[in-house]
Parts: sequence; C-alpha cells; structure tokens
Amino acid sequence: MEIIDLSWWQLGLSFLILLLPAYILWKYRTGLNKKLLTASLRMVLQLLFVGYYLEYLFEYDNPWINTAWIIVMVAVADFATIDRSDLRRRWSLLVPIFFSTFLGIIVIDLFFLQAVIQLPTLLMAQYTIPITGMVLGNCLRSNVIGINAFYYSLSDHKERYQFYLACGASRNEALQPFISEALQKSANPTLASMATIGLVSLPGMMTGQILSGSSPLIAIKYQIMIMVAIFSGTILSVYLGLVFTNKMVFESTDMLDESILKK
Amino acid sequence: MAADLSSKDIVISSCNLIVRFGSNTEIRFPEINVPAGKHTVIKGESGSGKSTLLKSVLGFIRPVSGTITFRERKADKSIRRQTAWLPQDLHLGQGRVKEIMAKPFQFAANKSRFVDDESCREILRNLGLGDEVFEKRLRDLSTGQRQRIGLGICYLLDKPILLLDEPTSALDKESKQKASRILLEHTNKTVLSTSHDPFWIEQADNIIELD
Repeated sequence: MEIIDLSWWQLGLSFLILLLPAYILWKYRTGLNKKLLTASLRMVLQLLFVGYYLEYLFEYDNPWINTAWIIVMVAVADFATIDRSDLRRRWSLLVPIFFSTFLGIIVIDLFFLQAVIQLPTLLMAQYTIPITGMVLGNCLRSNVIGINAFYYSLSDHKERYQFYLACGASRNEALQPFISEALQKSANPTLASMATIGLVSLPGMMTGQILSGSSPLIAIKYQIMIMVAIFSGTILSVYLGLVFTNKMVFESTDMLDESILKK
Repeated sequence: MAADLSSKDIVISSCNLIVRFGSNTEIRFPEINVPAGKHTVIKGESGSGKSTLLKSVLGFIRPVSGTITFRERKADKSIRRQTAWLPQDLHLGQGRVKEIMAKPFQFAANKSRFVDDESCREILRNLGLGDEVFEKRLRDLSTGQRQRIGLGICYLLDKPILLLDEPTSALDKESKQKASRILLEHTNKTVLSTSHDPFWIEQADNIIELD
C-alpha cells in the first residue's frame, strides 16, 4: 500500500478549516485569534525547519549528532517548562530542570531503544529522534503540571508545610505530601490517555505508522511500548525535577525562596 | 518577673528584633525573655506582630536585624525538634482526622513517641470532641474543632516547648478550661502563646505586651 503524498497546495488547503474555529473564537471575543495565528505560523516554521534538519540527521545518522539534537530539544523544553509553570527564569531552576529532563530522557531512550528494540547501531536517528520527541513532549506537559502544582501549592499552603517542620519533620518529610500531590496531578493525564487509548483516540505514532504502510499489529506494538515509555519518562522527569530543584530553591531555614514564583 | 531570672532560666529570648514585610511595613519587637517551664503570653492588637514573633522563633520568617536566642545560643532550625506549634487556623489538607493526627508521628524525629488511635481518641475526648470526629475529614470540621485537633497533636507530641498562636480564639468557655487543664496544669513545659482572650491571659506566668 503506497502512501498518498501531500502537495504544498493541498497542505495549504487544510488551513481553510481553521476559519471555523477562528469564527467561533471571534464571535465570543476570546481574543485567541491572534494567538492562533502566531501558533500556526510557529508550527509551520518549526516543523519545516525540523523536516529539513531531520533529512540531514537521518543521512549522517551519528549517535553524537543525535545526542546533540536531544540536548537542543531538552534545552528548549527546559525554558518552556519554567515559563509555562509561571516560574522565573533563574539558574536555580534552569539547571536542575535541564538535568532532570535530560536524565529522564536518556534513561528511557537507552532502555527502550537499546534494550527493548535492540537497535543495530547506538541511538539510530530513525528511531531515536521521533521516540525522544514524543516522550519529551509528554515530559514537558507533565513537568509543567507537576512543577507548577508543587511550588504554587507549597506557597499557598505554607502553614501546612511549616506545621510539619515545627513538629520536627525534616524538609523532605514536610515536603512529602506536596510531592505526592504534584506526582498525582502530573500522572493523571497520561494515565487517562492510557486507559482510553484505542477507544477514544488513535494516537499519532500509530496513525503515522499505519499511514506509512506498516501493519496495524506492528503499529500497536510500538504504540504500547511508547505509552509505557511516556509514562515512565514523565514520572521520572517530574520526580527528578522536584528533587533537583528542591536542592536549589530553599533557604537554610527550609523556607522556599518565593522570588522564583511569578505571582 | 522575667527580669529576676538568670540567663540559664531563659529558654528563648530576643533582642532588637525587627521584621519587615514588603517595602514599608516594619515591626520592632521589645526585648523578650521566655522563662523555662513557665507560660508566657504575648498580647497586643491585631497586626502588632504576635504570630510573626512565633514564626520568627521557628525560623519561618527571617528578621532584618536583631537576634533570637535559644538556650543561650543563636536560634536556628534545630529548635523545631523541641517544639510543637499551633498555627492560628489549622489547614492540613484533605485527609481524615485520624490520618492527620498520625502524620507527625511518622517523622523520624518523633518515631520514639508511639501514639495509637486510642490515645488520639482519648485526647480528643478530653478536649470535648466525640469519637465520630476521628473519622471525619479535617476540612469538614469547624474552626474550633480544628483548633482542638491541633491542640491534641501538640499535647501528644510531648515536646518541651509549646508555641501556641491564639489557642482559644475559636473555643467556648468549657473547651478553653479543658485546653488549659491539659496543656498548662501539672506540666513543666515552656509555653509561649499569643492571645487576646482574657481567660487564657489569666493563666499566664509572664505577660509581654506588643504595641
């Protein structure tokens, strides 16, 4: 079964459908149309760039170049995590979140690509780049939910934290309920999509594989694997993100340096 | 009264303490001495810094100048191993009272103080709360009930120093008497509390007034 290529004008045609949501958003004065325009432009430019870049990446297929690309993706995700979590861009956050995300991704990549799929060469571009991208995209979403929930909840309910400290708890003991809540909030979206996958949604990776001619059974196996990778990667990166940032944003008195919050 | 005591009898003291909030609110505290084994009450108008003083002692607020001394040494966070603190309003999450009362005893510092469900129920009964409260969610209770649960935890922790912020503000006369009996009578604990309540202030050995 051969895939039907999309010509550029056909791709342009697909944008016509955006007039429908744009009209609804305009009618109810949501002010989102400007954002829709910016987001659409960014999407096109970023994906065009990535499309051309990946052509080269696949041609060279060098593990060092692939790792460098992962570092670039993690660095962009690092800034996006902090901005969308409503935190300030401080080194005390940028550095630990970068390392936690990178570590989370590398552990997942090495396990799934080398131990499970057993790639013939280390970090083969054809597998590494799309799988890393999918896991990282989900890590970003979970990090934003988890890190925002953790720091803002700690600030809003600081008497609870202080009460535990005043009872003799160590900082880690007093933070435990806040870490638990943050992990629950960040895990819930992935758990919900795992529970409804195939019934409510056909995920992007599986759809892509089927469109490119793979057997649905192969696509399903990859999809199951990627969901496990996404869940493990997100929990790992949120947990490491909280552990690493917690070492940097507390004063010697165990009080949170609230200047990291944008509120 | 505190002036007659030697420095060894003073557990907590503060000197030239100034705390600042934002850019233009500043609280200057008088010299404060809290004698060992006595009940010291801090009284003063709302906003005079009573709660701030307790939080500063615990290291939750960093003063801009002045010192707080704990047993003749500069106070640091290690004081928290010897304290139990009752905040003005106890909000400890979504859990049930039994889970919330058990929580502080899971911390390494309190592991040696074994407290079972029956001890918790007993202290709650002594504070005028029925057994049914033990199974309820904390958020479903009134401020006065939450306050008594906080007082119960402070009692069970059995620490040498109690820091109580307006401990009777939401209690009726009978509950105040019970709280006073449990926390203040026949005990050699050092109690530093803040209060507006004439009944509670009457129980003090030492009164400090903030402007």
